[in-house]
Amino acid sequence: MKKSVIIAITVIVLIALLGSSAYNSMVDKQEGVTKAWSNVENQYQRRSDLIPNLVNTVKGYAKHEKTTLEGVIAARSKATQITIDPDKLTPEKLQAYQKAQGDVTTALGKLLAITENYPDLKANQNFLELQAQLEGTENRIAVERGRFNELAKEYNAYIRKFPRNMFAGMFGFEKRPYFEAEAGSEKAPAVEF
Amino acid sequence: MNLLKKTMLFLLLCLSFQAKAQNNAYTVESVPNVHLENKMRYVSNPGGLLSQEACAAIDSMLWKLEQKTSIEVAVIALPSIGNENSFDFALGIFNAWKVGKKSKDNGLVILLVEDQRTIRFITGYGLEGDLPDAICKRIQVKKMNPFFRNNNWDGGMVSGIQAVCARLDGSMTNDELNNEEGGNIMFLFFAAGGFIILLAFIGGIASWRATRCPKCKQHKLMRTDSKLLSYRHGVKREEVVYTCQNCGHKIIRETESSDDNYRGGRGGLGGGIFLGGLGGGLGSGGGGFSGGSFGGGMSGGGGAGSDF
Repeated sequence: MKKSVIIAITVIVLIALLGSSAYNSMVDKQEGVTKAWSNVENQYQRRSDLIPNLVNTVKGYAKHEKTTLEGVIAARSKATQITIDPDKLTPEKLQAYQKAQGDVTTALGKLLAITENYPDLKANQNFLELQAQLEGTENRIAVERGRFNELAKEYNAYIRKFPRNMFAGMFGFEKRPYFEAEAGSEKAPAVEF
Repeated sequence: MNLLKKTMLFLLLCLSFQAKAQNNAYTVESVPNVHLENKMRYVSNPGGLLSQEACAAIDSMLWKLEQKTSIEVAVIALPSIGNENSFDFALGIFNAWKVGKKSKDNGLVILLVEDQRTIRFITGYGLEGDLPDAICKRIQVKKMNPFFRNNNWDGGMVSGIQAVCARLDGSMTNDELNNEEGGNIMFLFFAAGGFIILLAFIGGIASWRATRCPKCKQHKLMRTDSKLLSYRHGVKREEVVYTCQNCGHKIIRETESSDDNYRGGRGGLGGGIFLGGLGGGLGSGGGGFSGGSFGGGMSGGGGAGSDF
């Protein structure tokens, strides 16, 4: 009688110990994913912030390209409307976000393509530096997306392995979606400057 | 004569093969990190694109920059990286070598690729403010590309790095050096203190054990009498009588001890070794021309690149 009580207590204590260490490392990993997501959002935000300046500079030289310029503005305002709480990140939300940001990328690509026809614009120092900033931002987006995907995949694998999967289910740790490779979105778009 | 000719031909063939192998594309793993061997070197120039004078000039500029600001710069000049994207390659180097101090992420990688005719800067997170992308681009376009267009690798690299140093000079202060030395001294201090405490502890335990009476198991033994057996070369042999204060049991132990006042022979040898060892330990704290390593910086892919 007494022996069985001792054994039961030992087992409970062991499970609690195992569970608490699994819980703590799951929290750490989840925090890592959340932080990586905010880095991704920061870089997209940075690109968003560059756009008005870029559009104004191009407008000064290429007044006739109204549709292209408006396309960029429209895509940007659509993309900025989508904000995501990283703790409620679902595959659908992420896909919508990715689609909206992808549209901005496409619109920017068109804008930069037409600047080829304006040699005065291409010689403008302000424009050159905006272009450099834009290119750097696209690179940063690619890097941060890659890091987010890495951490999300690591976290997903971690919470699904035995015995942590039991605790993960108990404490509500859910699988996090990550960026799927689309045609042309895996790397920074090849915009020739 | 014929044999000699054949050997010469063979040797020539070997040499040309080797030259061909050297022209092959470098990978992130195959670029030598010269900073590991010598902390005053920053230029990895395995293809010999830059002259020795240019490398020395760049090394001295970057050494001064690091002393002043703690910013770490790695310069890599390569004939070819195959079809690899120069951005991915430079970022790969940045992450593999971890350029920049860990807490500041203030690293910079400058990559020149001859056959792609491209120059690429990668800044660490901590340098993005002081060396924004637009400035990287401006330095490349104005200070480097005019030289590179004429295949003047030395001129472009030296002029570009001068511009980078001018930009970064005074942007941050180097507090790493003092911290490191302070840390070393503190560490030695604590290590020595700990060692002494340990010795005292061991000595204490030994003497406590020596007071244990074998009959009543109490720690009440006291030295009551001693008799000198011999005294040679400063080593004293004694017969000591211990009496238990509890039960009156007597035991006799023979001890050997060296006389501190004795000069000559083997006296004081142990102390000499101990002091020598400590001195050596202190001496190794100083640096000298040893190998260095980059500090563990991270990059988010900032910087700029341009083709010439």
